[in-house]
Amino acid sequence: MSPRKTLKDIRKPNKTLLLIIFMTIFLTEFLFFTWCRVQTIGAGYEISKETKHHQDLITLKNNLKVELARLKSPERIAKIAKNQLGLITPTREQMIIIP
Amino acid sequence: MKPAEKKHIRLRIIIVGSIFSLFFTAIGAKAVYLQVFRGSWLSQKAADQYEFSCRSYGKRGTIYDTNLKELAISIDVTSIAAHPPKIKNTRAIAKQLSKILKINRKSLVRKLASNKKFVWIKRKVTPKEAGAIRKLKIAGVDFIPEHKRFYPNKTLAAQVLGFTNIDDHGLEGIEFYYNKYLQGSASNYTILKDALGRGFDADKVTGSNYSGNNLILTIDSVIEYITEKALEEAVKKFSAKSGMAIVMAPKTGAILALAHYPFFNPNAKNNFTQKIWRNRVITDAFEPGSTMKIFAAASAIETGNCSPNSIFYCENGAYKVGNHVIHDTHEHGWLSLQQIIKYSSNIGAVKFSAITGSKSLYKTLRDFGFGAKTGMDCPGETAGILAPYNQWTKVDTGAISFGQGISVSALQLISATSAIANKGVLMKPYIVQAITDQNGQLIKSFSPKKMKRVISEKTAGALATIMKSVITEGGTGVNAALEGHSVCGKTGTAQKIGEQGKYAQGKYISSFIGFLPEKMPKTVILVVIDEPEKQHYGSIVAAPVFKKIARKTFDYMNIRPKNKTDKLIVSLKGKARG
Repeated sequence: MSPRKTLKDIRKPNKTLLLIIFMTIFLTEFLFFTWCRVQTIGAGYEISKETKHHQDLITLKNNLKVELARLKSPERIAKIAKNQLGLITPTREQMIIIP
Repeated sequence: MKPAEKKHIRLRIIIVGSIFSLFFTAIGAKAVYLQVFRGSWLSQKAADQYEFSCRSYGKRGTIYDTNLKELAISIDVTSIAAHPPKIKNTRAIAKQLSKILKINRKSLVRKLASNKKFVWIKRKVTPKEAGAIRKLKIAGVDFIPEHKRFYPNKTLAAQVLGFTNIDDHGLEGIEFYYNKYLQGSASNYTILKDALGRGFDADKVTGSNYSGNNLILTIDSVIEYITEKALEEAVKKFSAKSGMAIVMAPKTGAILALAHYPFFNPNAKNNFTQKIWRNRVITDAFEPGSTMKIFAAASAIETGNCSPNSIFYCENGAYKVGNHVIHDTHEHGWLSLQQIIKYSSNIGAVKFSAITGSKSLYKTLRDFGFGAKTGMDCPGETAGILAPYNQWTKVDTGAISFGQGISVSALQLISATSAIANKGVLMKPYIVQAITDQNGQLIKSFSPKKMKRVISEKTAGALATIMKSVITEGGTGVNAALEGHSVCGKTGTAQKIGEQGKYAQGKYISSFIGFLPEKMPKTVILVVIDEPEKQHYGSIVAAPVFKKIARKTFDYMNIRPKNKTDKLIVSLKGKARG
């Protein structure tokens, strides 16, 4: 039979248990904090990656705009019309009057 | 325990305690010093190790033509820089870089071995060059994103647009004049770096918020192309030194085209001389020759001293004024004022100007804007030269009436002619119609600005009729006649002043100015050809260019000839399909 607990023993909480609870809370908090930091850093990398991707797409869009502007140049269009398609500016006689 | 032993232990405790107290006091003092007195400095020092600040400049705004076609845009490029303290094998790296970037190896070695924290290696490199250097993965070599101005139409309206320097500041033309609107603003942002030096979590990235504003010009790139092409052909055909042409809407003063030849490509501006960069339409003044007769006639009619039918004896080709003898190209006897303009008689112009008087002539010319800047939104405008009438000699009044002894800019000449086309109202010429922000929202718009009424509507109508007669059979401007349209115009052939201040032999400026259609003019066109060699008369050199520009422009603007009711846009050699 276990020795009978005194009243003082019942009122006094178990120190080891308290320490374990405290350490568990502390460790959980510590791990949670670490996890948060890791997540933040990971998210930072993701943001940087996506930002770079976004910038690359903007650059691509700008390059395409430049290309389009170059392709629409009147000199280029006139050259293609004249040399490749064989078009000429109509003379007054070639104009057809539709009443 | 014995008392002596106890005493010894207490002493030891006191000694150890004192030493520890001393240490803790020192540590505490140091902590206070670091935290309180050096706290902010240390925090900054720490932050410097895991943060780096960047400064970026927003993209320069786009310049559009009137149909929102891009004339000048900014593209993203990369510049190569280095942090010399981080570069280890300087010579080997310099060798690699100089080979790819095609730059001098010795100067690169000097740069990389310098004590500076940052040096540019080559700015605004090609994507191929940047890619090749990225592959080398050299520590201490940095890739800085920048913007570069690009002109997709190359030479089109180059003198009007101007260009920028390597730092994207406007140096010439519209780029210079509207630099404060076009230029993007600077932005600072911080990037955190990890233990490996990789950047992440930028708090602000370069975005469109810092971009400059866009400009929308009145220039129509198609009309500009038509004008430039016609001008180029004429300059080449007559082996001329240069040429310029302007197309203007007389009702508003908007410039539709402003062409120069020789062309220059602002994408490779260093391959061209500074002379070619200049917007000569604005900056250069010249003696206009016979085109000035229409303004002398305007003065004569407006003052009521003459009518288009007033007749003058033209002295059969030679007339002495003071010590000078005025000549006509062809001998004429009696001519009406209208015929004087039609046949471009210098003697006739001298005679009707003598009746008008120098004061009235001066006033009319000033009203038309000669001798003063038009105020157009382009840099470096000349006011031309028009001396006050009280400084004129007897021959000056006559000479000015046929375009000698006065210097005008091409812009002044076309603005003044536009006033005639616009029923006597002078409009301020302008080339930028609106400024928009990066999202296309209107910031500022420029509407047509009426300067003043120069001549009455009746006088303007009479002048239009006179100018119309110039294009008819026997007139000097018959080569400008356009089938189906009533053209009003005037030729000009002016001898150039040589380096010694005298008229140079064989050097002329041929010009033609006109508008069409007579009743409701849509465009005023000026063509100026400098020093044509094979022919020099404005009627032969410049008038056909006017005709070519007018015809193609009207086809493009869908303005039908009077005897036509519809138009055909293009014709195709061979059979139509489909």
